[in-house]
Amino acid sequence: MKRLSDLDYLKLNKWQAFWYKVALFFCAIPLFFKNIGLGIVNFFKKCGIGIRDEFVDIGTTFTKGNWAVKLSFLIFGFGNFYYGQILRGILFLLFEVVFIGYMIVPSGGLYWLAKGNWFKIGSTVGTVQGGLVENKINYNGIEIVTSDWVAGDDSVKVMLYGLLTIVFICAFIYTWRVQVKQCRICMDITAKGKKIKSGKDDMKSLLDDQFHKTLLALPITGILAFTVLPIIYMVLVAFTSYDAAHDGYSNLFSWVGFDNFNELFNFNKGGLGLTFGEILSWTLMWAFFATFTNYFLGMFVAIMINKKGIKIKKFWRTILVMTIAIPQFVSLLYVSKLFTTSGLIGRVLEQIPFIHDWRVAHNFVSLWDSPTVAKILLIVINIWIGIPYIMLMATGILMNIPQDLYESARIDGASSTQQFTKITLPYMLFVTGPYLLTSFVGNLNNFNVIYLLSEGNPIKGTAGGASVGHTDLLITWLFKMTLGSTESKYYYASIIGILVFLVVAILSLIIYNVIPSTRNEEDYK
Amino acid sequence: MKKQNDNKIRKTGLGARASRRISNGIIYAILIIMTIVWLFPFVGILLESFKTETNMQTPYLFPKEFGFDHYIRLFKETDFFKWFINTGIMGVATAVLQTFFILSMSYVLSRLRFKGRKGLMNFMLILGMFPGFLTMILIYKVFADAGLTANMAPLGLIIVYCASSGMGYYVSKGFFDTIPKSLDEAARVDGATRFQVFYKVIMPLSKPIVIYTILMGFMAPWGDFILASYLIHENSAGMNVAVGMYEWLSRTNLNTYYTMFCAAGVIVAIPVVTVFLLLQKYYVEGVTGGAVKG
Amino acid sequence: MASVKLTNVKKIYGKDTVAVQDFNLDIADKEFIVFVGPSGCGKSTTLRMIAGLEDISDGTVEIDGVVVNDLQPRDRDIAMVFQNYALYPHLTVFENMAFSLRLKNVPNDIVYDKVTKAAEILGITEYLTRKPRALSGGQRQRVAIGRAMVRDSKVFLMDEPLSNLDAKLRNQMRAEIILLRQKIDTTFIYVTHDQTEAMTLGDRIVIMKDGFIQQVGTPTEVFDMPLNLFVAEFIGAPKMNTFKTELVCEGGKYFVKPYGAKIEVTGKKADMLKAKGIGTGEVILGIRPEHFVLSDASNPAAIPCKIVVNEMMGSELHLHVFEENGDRLIVRIPTVSLSDEQRNALVYDATIYVTCEGKVMHFFDTETQRNLLV
Repeated sequence: MKRLSDLDYLKLNKWQAFWYKVALFFCAIPLFFKNIGLGIVNFFKKCGIGIRDEFVDIGTTFTKGNWAVKLSFLIFGFGNFYYGQILRGILFLLFEVVFIGYMIVPSGGLYWLAKGNWFKIGSTVGTVQGGLVENKINYNGIEIVTSDWVAGDDSVKVMLYGLLTIVFICAFIYTWRVQVKQCRICMDITAKGKKIKSGKDDMKSLLDDQFHKTLLALPITGILAFTVLPIIYMVLVAFTSYDAAHDGYSNLFSWVGFDNFNELFNFNKGGLGLTFGEILSWTLMWAFFATFTNYFLGMFVAIMINKKGIKIKKFWRTILVMTIAIPQFVSLLYVSKLFTTSGLIGRVLEQIPFIHDWRVAHNFVSLWDSPTVAKILLIVINIWIGIPYIMLMATGILMNIPQDLYESARIDGASSTQQFTKITLPYMLFVTGPYLLTSFVGNLNNFNVIYLLSEGNPIKGTAGGASVGHTDLLITWLFKMTLGSTESKYYYASIIGILVFLVVAILSLIIYNVIPSTRNEEDYK
Repeated sequence: MKKQNDNKIRKTGLGARASRRISNGIIYAILIIMTIVWLFPFVGILLESFKTETNMQTPYLFPKEFGFDHYIRLFKETDFFKWFINTGIMGVATAVLQTFFILSMSYVLSRLRFKGRKGLMNFMLILGMFPGFLTMILIYKVFADAGLTANMAPLGLIIVYCASSGMGYYVSKGFFDTIPKSLDEAARVDGATRFQVFYKVIMPLSKPIVIYTILMGFMAPWGDFILASYLIHENSAGMNVAVGMYEWLSRTNLNTYYTMFCAAGVIVAIPVVTVFLLLQKYYVEGVTGGAVKG
Repeated sequence: MASVKLTNVKKIYGKDTVAVQDFNLDIADKEFIVFVGPSGCGKSTTLRMIAGLEDISDGTVEIDGVVVNDLQPRDRDIAMVFQNYALYPHLTVFENMAFSLRLKNVPNDIVYDKVTKAAEILGITEYLTRKPRALSGGQRQRVAIGRAMVRDSKVFLMDEPLSNLDAKLRNQMRAEIILLRQKIDTTFIYVTHDQTEAMTLGDRIVIMKDGFIQQVGTPTEVFDMPLNLFVAEFIGAPKMNTFKTELVCEGGKYFVKPYGAKIEVTGKKADMLKAKGIGTGEVILGIRPEHFVLSDASNPAAIPCKIVVNEMMGSELHLHVFEENGDRLIVRIPTVSLSDEQRNALVYDATIYVTCEGKVMHFFDTETQRNLLV
């Protein structure tokens, strides 16, 4: 599409300008995907170039390095010792010794790696199946047959230790590279006649120019150990037969390759593909309504409380804020029971003949048993939960809007409605753009509200080895797959987890590119 | 002629005032209705917890007989007290550790520049899109072996809450971003190491965000259901309040435990609401700041 | 008290955004150097590299003969005053000033002596127990200077210290910095975008543009003999009038013919033109507004032009005039030299005739924009 020049664009009337913008938006979509594609290609190109450069650098380091540098290709930290960096040398050497030791000792790294049968489709993770062994015991002349459990391998452990070993190997290669590089740098520095940092300097710099390493050490370790590693593990699970029947201990599980993913294309009733689609559409609908009802109503409440002439502002705010303070499981569980037929509100509603007849006609025990009503109730109760947050946030932002904007608008002749639509709303939308994104994503994964209110019920069937309800979000379905069912089909959970990730990532990317705040950061400053 | 004009002006002036009075009146009406709706569940829980006549849901709000029976039973017949203590310990421990983790992370990302900073932030952003609780499948297995489930579940949970908490750095980073960079530079020229800049200059200026982070850390275990249910679903003594009380409202337990749930809810709400209302100011600052910075 | 030497200093952001190019400068001990230039010219970046707040991409910075490239700011023994003062909001004025000494664990009585002495010089003794928040802009500025003073450091760096103050306060503080300089005898490096500050404060001025040094020299040098068109227009207010015109060499005499007038180049300038052997050709002529004088139609050296704006500054008039081709010139006339009638005649659309003496003209190459006489 041809882009208009700025001056031509200004000639358009309101509607023309609107349609022009819409057209531009749709024309930009192919470009958007092209850019993403190019970005990915560039990323890999960069990676390729980076790797090639590394190898070239290693090569030159070896050919140009002196004997100490060359020797440090084999002995970690040798160069550091040679150049007087004793502390670093010791640490590097220690790492090498520990690594080699760990790899070769019996039931060390190599042992676990070998046991894993990594990605050999059809073979088990772990080699020795545990089982019952019959023992005959002669007890006072009577022969008793007992069966004892003889433990074999535990697939979970085999896979975990295997994974850890792989991580360890990567760390080993990285450390090797780092220490070789350091030796080269030491060589260069000495060649220039400068002083090399001593161990004391290293320690000092940990509180100064390397302070980030000190501060990040623990948090990053935590994230690596408790998020990154388990996530890699869970992704691997998608390629195995890990479930309740094959829990790795009583029954080894095995590598199945992409077999589990076939189920994704099962669009029959109860099939993973169909159920995923159904739940996804409700999840998106829920996130949309939950985000925007809260957003606009919350803003509305904030404006009401902030209006000039309204007294005891603090009181109104505190009442609302109380809802945030009380743990959600208390308030949500209580509220959900209020709407059952025996609950306080449920009983009042029962008095209305129309509702009563409708319930009886559909054989519903309570209001929660109707998919439509349950969905509406969820959104309404979520408004009750969500308004206080938005109200607080909006209050802060409203106070930040420069008063002279309003004064100038009033002098220009804007009514109070116009002031809202022309100043307050654009300002709010602009400033809270990023918040809307996080809040939308947060609602996609809003486990608490759904699970504590309806548990995803009413039930409509089973899929992925767990029951599925009409109000289930992807996230609650996932929870049921891993914890709420006896089958515990972890491999399906893993696949759904990956899909959730993709959904969130793609939506974030799109929204991020649509909202203005991320592009014109300075507009309102 | 002139007089007429004057009258006109005065008339519209009066009209504006009157219409403002009407609109304010409507707003007051809405606010009062909202207050009732928002308070209803809390008042309801409080009143039901005092009903001595029944354990079940009742069609009326006000107790026929006031009494503390359910509170007494709570401590005599159930493990609630244990859960309460567990959760309290978790709250305090999480508040301390998590604050340390989050502040370290956000301080570094906000004020120090180093290779890989952008990459690290993007990495954590992407990591955050993965449904976090799936990691609990593996963590449960490992913790079960290490003895950190069942009775020791609170300890395991503290580790789970804190270990990855560095990923929630956004709000406090937003705060640190607002402190002028020249303060760091001035201090460094004055002879401070980066560590001294951190604890002599930035930390004293960051009281609001430190308190906000502590508050969030303390409240997290009180409301956590999903992570806790992985580690403690099998054993009563190591439960936290959320998982324990959730059981009480299952269809089979509902009629026995309903009022006790209310009593327990009141007890749980007291420490959290107290702390929260005391530190409300800092919470508001955090919420508004975080939203604006994104 | 130290010399500072910058050799081939470069600053490159990212891959190829160059902020500072090949910066070479020797700063003598106890010299007051001013970096001046429009925003984005690299002056602050250079200062921050000397301070150690920015990495040096290439080249070396020496303080007192020691290369400091890899030293942390705190190891360079420098003091710095920031544009926005950068006072620690949680500390009192006293503790703000004492901050650096406290970090070095200096005994309290010495801290007290030093801080109170500095406070006395700056006249902020009565505010010592206040927090910065309770101070006015000028007072904060003093505290920031005081904080740098107590350090007795080798080099005193100032990054646009006056730009956050209002005009009146700025003039006052400028005078105080001159006084201060006599009291604390050390090397100063001062960054500003204001040429007045540069001219009044500096022993030498470094004029920068787009990362390049344009000229280094004393205020008189850069004013009288700007190396190129940029310096000529940047130094002096209102800025120098520059326009293309013809330089004619007739029988050993030089003439310029701006806008139909014919003015002879006289004095030193004529000698220099001769010495350089410059002949007839087009040049860029520069005439400072204050060097124009009113003349009349009969004078062949007078340029006729029309007044568009008349700015009455009190002691002088700034006339913006259009000459016939539509080029705009600025003429600056001291009011004392005008009679009332003359002054009243200077109204919008009135035609006036201005001329200038041949010895105060500047000549620049039309292509390289360099001063032809250097």
